[in-house]
Amino acid sequence: MAATIFQLAPLIPVLPFVAFLVALTAGRWLPEKGAYVGILAAAGSLGLSVWTLLAVNASASSLYVANELYTWAAVEGLSLTFGVLLDPLSTFMLVLVALIATLVFVFSLGYMNHDEHHRERGGLPRYYASVALFTASMLAFVLASNLLMAFIFFELVGLCSYLLIGFWLTDRAPASAAKKAFLVTRFGDYFFLVGVVGVLATFGTAAFAEGGFPQLASDALATSSPVGPDGPLQWLPGGIDPQAWFTILGLLVLGGAIGKSAQFPLHTWLPDAMEGPTPISALIHAATMVAAGVYLLARMFGFYAELPQALAVIAFIGGFTALFAATMGVVKDDIKQVLAYSTISQYGYMMLGLGVGGYVAATFHLMTHAYFKALLFLGAGAIIVATHHQDMWALGGLREHLPVTRWTFLAGALSLAGIAPFSGFWSKEEVLFDALIVGLEHPLLLGAYAMALVAVLLTGFYTFRMYFLTFHGEPRSDAASDPDPVGWAIKLPLVVLGTLAVVAGFVNMKPVDYYVGADLLYLERWLDGVAGALSVTHYHELLSYSEAAISPLGPTLLTLGLALIGAYMAHLLYNVPDPDRYFDGTGVVDSLLKHNYYQDELQVWLATGLTGSIARVSNLFDQRAIDGLVDGTASAGLIGGDRVRNVQFGVLPGYVALLVGSVVVLILVAGLYGGWWM
Amino acid sequence: MTVPLSYALGLSAALFGVGLFGLLTRQNALVLVIAVELMLNAANINFVAASYHWGGADGQLFAIAVIALAAAEVAVGVGILLQVHRTFGTVDVTVPRALRW
Repeated sequence: MAATIFQLAPLIPVLPFVAFLVALTAGRWLPEKGAYVGILAAAGSLGLSVWTLLAVNASASSLYVANELYTWAAVEGLSLTFGVLLDPLSTFMLVLVALIATLVFVFSLGYMNHDEHHRERGGLPRYYASVALFTASMLAFVLASNLLMAFIFFELVGLCSYLLIGFWLTDRAPASAAKKAFLVTRFGDYFFLVGVVGVLATFGTAAFAEGGFPQLASDALATSSPVGPDGPLQWLPGGIDPQAWFTILGLLVLGGAIGKSAQFPLHTWLPDAMEGPTPISALIHAATMVAAGVYLLARMFGFYAELPQALAVIAFIGGFTALFAATMGVVKDDIKQVLAYSTISQYGYMMLGLGVGGYVAATFHLMTHAYFKALLFLGAGAIIVATHHQDMWALGGLREHLPVTRWTFLAGALSLAGIAPFSGFWSKEEVLFDALIVGLEHPLLLGAYAMALVAVLLTGFYTFRMYFLTFHGEPRSDAASDPDPVGWAIKLPLVVLGTLAVVAGFVNMKPVDYYVGADLLYLERWLDGVAGALSVTHYHELLSYSEAAISPLGPTLLTLGLALIGAYMAHLLYNVPDPDRYFDGTGVVDSLLKHNYYQDELQVWLATGLTGSIARVSNLFDQRAIDGLVDGTASAGLIGGDRVRNVQFGVLPGYVALLVGSVVVLILVAGLYGGWWM
Repeated sequence: MTVPLSYALGLSAALFGVGLFGLLTRQNALVLVIAVELMLNAANINFVAASYHWGGADGQLFAIAVIALAAAEVAVGVGILLQVHRTFGTVDVTVPRALRW
């Protein structure tokens, strides 16, 4: 039974792919322009994913690897294959992605088809085809059994985000945002690609499990002669220390994760990506594109676990991004922009969690974040459908008109702010607690923890600033005082996600578990259930971190207190009938934050100012030196030919004289050198 | 009695010199053709003399070939000459100056 479903696992991405083909070719004749095909396919994938999850749970080893379902290319000592890897992490992620995708499909029906404004703009078959392809690529990425396959679908995910962010392609802003998203993530993916090639060259395999490269790396660090016929490695450049080389490879792959998961400094594409349709923002932020980066690191965590330098880099990038993005989220006026920065910030927490060895915590936060962020985005989508505004200063007072949206949005906001007992609280708390106990033993990492801790306060503030501005106070526009009603296709996903945002945190209540001792760490046990090298226990053995033994009560109360203070400050400032734009008077702070620390300007300067100058110099060198050399050869021939052709002066006796003279000279020369007169 | 080889070679060289001198100094195209004929026949004398001296027949065969070639050359040369005369109204070889770059 279990074997059957494991063999059916490739169907999970194939179903949405078929939906992609159907929607693309026949979408315009289908009812609702292909929406139902997408919903059916995503629901089918969800069903298969749940079945797979249960089968993995039931099987003895909780692991199924078929790395060579299809061999793309095979040469001596290296084969590039496509396969599936089913273990607790991947099946858990499959269910998550398929669930969010299904709900986004349903929501899209309400957002795109049932809304006059969006419906009139057309392109719906293209929309559903792109979403289906997006889902298919992400599911295939999650299933990937080796790094190369993961890379290919990682890129496909990037392509789909390009298609969807630029969905309203006739407008200038979405087209430009799509291009930016594609280029910025491509920049990170470039490093990823180099990393993949490096991994293949070093280990001769890119598989994640069963003799995969994390295991080989572990072996290589344990032996004194890693390279050679008996050693685990095939190649090591220039006798470099394996540890250093693995760190380089790890950081290269991290480049891809930073680009996709929108971490500093490659996060600038994500706020612009808000130009896409709102359900897409939910999909990108919760389950697909952005989650791919963190999932990738979690997938190969066995590789990173033995590289403390790489982990420290991940932790610092995460902690810094968490704080940095939160500060920008505080001043944004557009509800989707606030959510975009909150996403960057929350993914910073996941990176921090991975960086301090909190594999479970990061995965946990990935899950709860997927639920509450999809919820918040769909809530924002519902508000847009109801009012056709997304500037929070044109909203306000929506709580009476949109009760379902309001209550579910509130659940999402409480979760995002990290207020007990909503899901985000448990996961964020676990990430921060892991960072703290490691940080106490390794003071350097305490800096990353401190940044993330400050971000908690800001998260509480901007989340509730957004909530109060949107739902409380007086309506600040005609549309907000009389919003259109929203349909079932919008309410259903909101209610499902709202419920999940409330309860999803209960799967891993670490502080409660610590005091009650009732064994409440279901998620940790689930992820640890796999046999061998992919288990949490094994990762812990690999990690070189030591952990301080402290009670979680103090840190938990601290983070909860900070979140509550932030929320309360927002309540004081914005939960009034007619709130002020407080940030308008703060001068340099306001302009710095509103312009996102001028990072876009910096990147533009890097691209045009710096790169442009370098390019101009090399262009000059090319034109003068290289071209000069080539042109010089040609000119020499040209000028020489011009001179020599004068020999052909056109007078017959002269030619005869030249001929005779030449023969005489030839005879004289031959005679002199031939020694005729010697 | 036999004519010594050096006599024949001397005659050939003298004849060749006359031909070369004519080729270099004269301007009338017809005279140039005649000069070329002289040089060809100087070569013929060389061939026959050498052939006689070494007792082989190949030199004489070459001489016959050269005579045939000379006849063909004259036919072509006089043909060109006629064209030149028709175009320029003269057979002075210094007049046509278009044979240049």
